[in-house]
Amino acid sequence: MTSRQYTTFEVANQLFGVDVAKVVEVLRFSEYTRVPLADKSVGGLINLRGQVMAAVDLGVRLGLEPRDMTKPSMNVIVNEEGEPISLLVDKIGDVVELQEDTFEPPPDTLAGPLRELIIGAFKLDSRLMLALDAKRAVHSASGAAKTAAR
Amino acid sequence: MPFSQVNPYRVDGTADEHRETNVDELDDIVQEFLVESHENLDQLDRDLVALEQHPDSRELLSSIFRTIHTIKGTSGFLAFHRLETVTHAGESLLSRLRDGAQSMNVESANALLRMVDTVRGLLAQIEEQGVEGEMEIQSVIEQVTACIEDGSGKPKAAPAAAAPAPAAPADEAPAAESAAEVPEPVAEVHPEPEPEPEPEPEPAHEESAANAPVPAPRGGPPGPAGPEPGEEGSAPQRRSVAESSIRVDVDLLDALMRLVGELVLTRNQLVRGVSEMSDPALTRTTQRLNLITSELQESVMKTRMQPIDQIWSKLPRVVRDLSSQLGRQIKLAMEGKDTELDRSLLESVKDPLTHLVRNAVDHGIEPPDVRRAAGKNPEGTLTLRAYHEGGHVVVEVADDGAGIDPDRVASTALDRGVITRDQLARMETSDIFQLLFQPGFSTAKKVTNVSGRGVGMDVVKTNIEKIGGTVDVDSTLGRGTTWRLTIPLTLAIIQALTVECSTEQYAIPQIAVDELVFVDGSSDKNIEHVSGAPVYRLRGKLLPLVHLDETLGLPRGSNDKDVYIAVLQAEGRRFGLVVDRVLNTEEIVVKPLATLLKDIGVYQGSTILGDGKVALILDVQSLARRSLLAAQAVERSGLAVDSQQAQGRAGSGNRLLITGVGDRRVAVPLDMVTRLEEFSVDKIERVGSREVVQYRGRILPLVRLAHLLGAYPAEDGDSVPVVVYSERGRSVALAVEKIVDIVEDSVETHSDLDDSGLTGSAVIQQRVTEMLDVRQAILAADVNFFDAIDEYADNYGGGLEEMSAV
Repeated sequence: MTSRQYTTFEVANQLFGVDVAKVVEVLRFSEYTRVPLADKSVGGLINLRGQVMAAVDLGVRLGLEPRDMTKPSMNVIVNEEGEPISLLVDKIGDVVELQEDTFEPPPDTLAGPLRELIIGAFKLDSRLMLALDAKRAVHSASGAAKTAAR
Repeated sequence: MPFSQVNPYRVDGTADEHRETNVDELDDIVQEFLVESHENLDQLDRDLVALEQHPDSRELLSSIFRTIHTIKGTSGFLAFHRLETVTHAGESLLSRLRDGAQSMNVESANALLRMVDTVRGLLAQIEEQGVEGEMEIQSVIEQVTACIEDGSGKPKAAPAAAAPAPAAPADEAPAAESAAEVPEPVAEVHPEPEPEPEPEPEPAHEESAANAPVPAPRGGPPGPAGPEPGEEGSAPQRRSVAESSIRVDVDLLDALMRLVGELVLTRNQLVRGVSEMSDPALTRTTQRLNLITSELQESVMKTRMQPIDQIWSKLPRVVRDLSSQLGRQIKLAMEGKDTELDRSLLESVKDPLTHLVRNAVDHGIEPPDVRRAAGKNPEGTLTLRAYHEGGHVVVEVADDGAGIDPDRVASTALDRGVITRDQLARMETSDIFQLLFQPGFSTAKKVTNVSGRGVGMDVVKTNIEKIGGTVDVDSTLGRGTTWRLTIPLTLAIIQALTVECSTEQYAIPQIAVDELVFVDGSSDKNIEHVSGAPVYRLRGKLLPLVHLDETLGLPRGSNDKDVYIAVLQAEGRRFGLVVDRVLNTEEIVVKPLATLLKDIGVYQGSTILGDGKVALILDVQSLARRSLLAAQAVERSGLAVDSQQAQGRAGSGNRLLITGVGDRRVAVPLDMVTRLEEFSVDKIERVGSREVVQYRGRILPLVRLAHLLGAYPAEDGDSVPVVVYSERGRSVALAVEKIVDIVEDSVETHSDLDDSGLTGSAVIQQRVTEMLDVRQAILAADVNFFDAIDEYADNYGGGLEEMSAV
C-alpha cells in the first residue's frame, strides 16, 4: 500500500494539501511589494533570502476578496516547474501521511473555482483534505489575468 | 571547423604573466587547437576503451573517426605535417572499422591507442617549442598500417602482435605502451626524446581508467613539460595551455554571478547596519568584506567578459570584400580592441555592428574619384572605436565620408509621410537624424545588394535597445558620420534610478534617463493639458507626459504639484514620466520577472533594493509606447507649433545657462554646455600654475570664471559646480559658483555693454546678466583647444568649404 506525505494548510476554512516534495518551505512574511496591473490573485512580490518570487493569494483563487497585504501572511513556498512561487494561505497545518486508497477524485457535485484547483480529496478521520493542483493554482492566475483584461 | 564551441566559456586560470608568455609564443589559433585537441584526446581514450567492449558500436566508431579527422584537418591547415601523417594513418584504419571492412580487435585497439599517445606527444612538442620537432612517428604508423593490412577479420597470433608493440615504445618517444597487453614493464624504459617521461597518472585519467577494465595506456602526460603542480621555482616554467584554461559551463558562471549578486546585496545591508553601531572592530571587518565583495564581483564579471576583438576580427574581411566589390578604397582602423564586454552582449552587438560597418562602406565613404574631387584622400578611413564611459561600453563606427545631409533626410521623411511639415519645423538636426531609425526608412539614392533596402537602422536600434543600450548618430556633411552604440557592461547589474510612486519604489534603467525636472507647485510653470493629454513645457518644447500612477492603474496621487518628471528616451521618443519622488541612483541586480507577471508588459524585471525590499523595474520601451497618446494629442492640437512661434517672437530661441560668479550673473549659451558636473574641492589638483581635475580617465583643465572675469570669488564650499564643454574628444571645465537657471534668450534686452571676457550683457529675469565669451574662456583653460580640433578636422576631412560643394 503506497502512502504519500502532504503538507496541509487552511484557506477559507477548507483543508488543503500539497505533496511534500513540492514544498520548499513555509514561513510567515509581512513585506510584500505590490504589483500594479497584475491579476488580483497576485498578492505581491517577496524577497526570500535574495530570491524574488510572486505570492499568489489562494483565497482569491477560490473566489474570496483579496487579503490585507499590509498584515503578515502565511506563505507556502512551492517549486513549480523550476520556479519557486509562494501560496498565501490562512493557516498552516501538519504534514500528514495518507494512504492512496483514501483518495477520491473530485465529487461531481463540486462546482466553481474549487473544482479547477484540486486533483481530488483524501478522507481524513474528521474532515476532508483537498489535494491542491499547485500548477493550476499558480498558472490559472495568469490565465485569469488575461481573461480579466478582455 | 570546431575551434570554438559556442557554449562553454574559456576561463583563464593562470596568472596574467603566464598567459602573456603563451600568447606571445603561440598563435591564438594554435593555442585554441591545442586546448581542443587535448580535450578530444581524453575523450578518444575513453571511446577507444569503450569500443573494445562494444566492438560493433557504429556510434563510437563514428565519433572517434570524426575526432581524428578533425585533428587531421586542422593540423594540415596549420602545417603540422607529422601530426597530419600520424592521424591520417589512424583515420584510414578507423574508416575501415567504421565501414565494417574489418572489426575491432586487440591489435587495432593497441595501435589506435598508441597513435593517440603519439598525437599527444606531438601536441606537447608543438606547445612547448611551437614546432613538431623530430619525434619518431614511423613505427606507430607502421603498427597502425599493419592492422589495416592483415586485420581483415583473421585474428593474428597474439605473440606476433605483442612483439612489435613493446619493442616500438622502447625506442620511441611518447611512452605509448599498451599496459593492458604488455606484461613487461617497458613503460619505464624511456631513452631520450620525451621531455619528461614520468608516467605520473593525472587525476583526469583516473576516471577513464576506472571505467575501463582494460587500463588505458598512459605515459606522456597530456600537459607537456613538467606537469607536476608542485614545481620548484627553478626555471621560469610556464603552464601548459590545457592547464591554464578550462572550459566551464555557462550555467555555472550564471549561478556564480547570481550568488555574487546576492552577496552584494547582503553586503550592502550589512554595511548599512554596521554603520549605525559604531563598533570599530566590526567596522573594519565590514570594510574588508566590502572590498572583498567588490573584488569578487569584478572577478566573476570578468569570467563572462570577452574582448570586443572577438567580433571585430571578422570585420576587416567584410570591409575588404565589400570595398573591392563597390570600388572603394578603405583603411580600417581599430581602437580599443581589448575593451571587454559580457559575452552574451557581445553576441547581440555583432549583427548591428556588422550592419553599421557595411552601411558605412556602402553609403558613408564615397568612391575614390568623388573623394579626390572633394579634395580628400581617395582612401577613406573607417574607424572602429571601443571604450568605457560611465559604466557603459561605447562602440563607435566612424567614417570620414560624405556625411548625412539632414535636408535630404527631412525631405525623404516628408515624401514618405513619416513626418508632417509642422513636425519638421520643430525638429532640430539631431531629431532629424533620429528619423533614420524609423522602420522602412532609407535615404540611399539607389538600393544596392549591400544596403539601402530600408531594413537596417531600425533593426539595429531595436536590437541594441533590447539589451538596454542606445544608438546615436552624429554627422557633419562632407566630413563623415559617427554611429555610436552605448552598451551596458553586463545585463545582470545595471545602473538604475529609483523613484517613488504611490508609496512604492520603482527602478528605471539609468541609460534611458535624460534628465530630471522638479515641478515646483508654487511656481507658475506647471503641467498643462492639450486635448486632455498632459504635457510639460521643457525649454520651450512640449514634452508629452505619462503619469506613472495612472499607467499602473493606481489612484492618482498629488494634483501635479511638487512632482518630479523623469525625462526618458526610448524608441526614438522623448517623454516625461511623472513620479512622486526621485530617490536615488544605484546599481541594482536584475532579477527575472516571475512567469506569472510577464504578460503585464510594463515591467522588465525586478530587483532587491538596499533596504531588502523588492522593487519592480519599469520597461521604458513599453512606457514610451504609452506616451504616444499624449504625443498625438499634441500633434493634433497644433499647439506645439504655436508655442514655438510665440517663442520665436519673444526671443532668439537660444537657451542660456545662468550661473552665479561672485555676486554677478554670467550666462553661457547652452550650446556650449556639454555637461554640468560638481567636483569636490579636494579633487582639484594642479599642473604647474593650472588647475585640473581627473575626469573620466583624463586630465580636464579647469578655469575659474571668477578669476577670469575679475569677480570677487566667494569662499569655496565642499564642491564646485562646473560647466564642461567637450568637442571632438577634448574637454575643458569652467568652474562657477552656482548654477542658477536655464532661460530663453531674448534679443531685445541685449546691450553691447561689455568687458574683458564678455560678449555683452542683457537683462534676464529682471537682473543684469553678463554674456560670457566662451571661446575666450575655453582658451584660458586650454590654449590649444581649438587648434587641436582644427587639426583633427584637417586630418579627417579637409576644409569645410570644399566639403559643402560635394
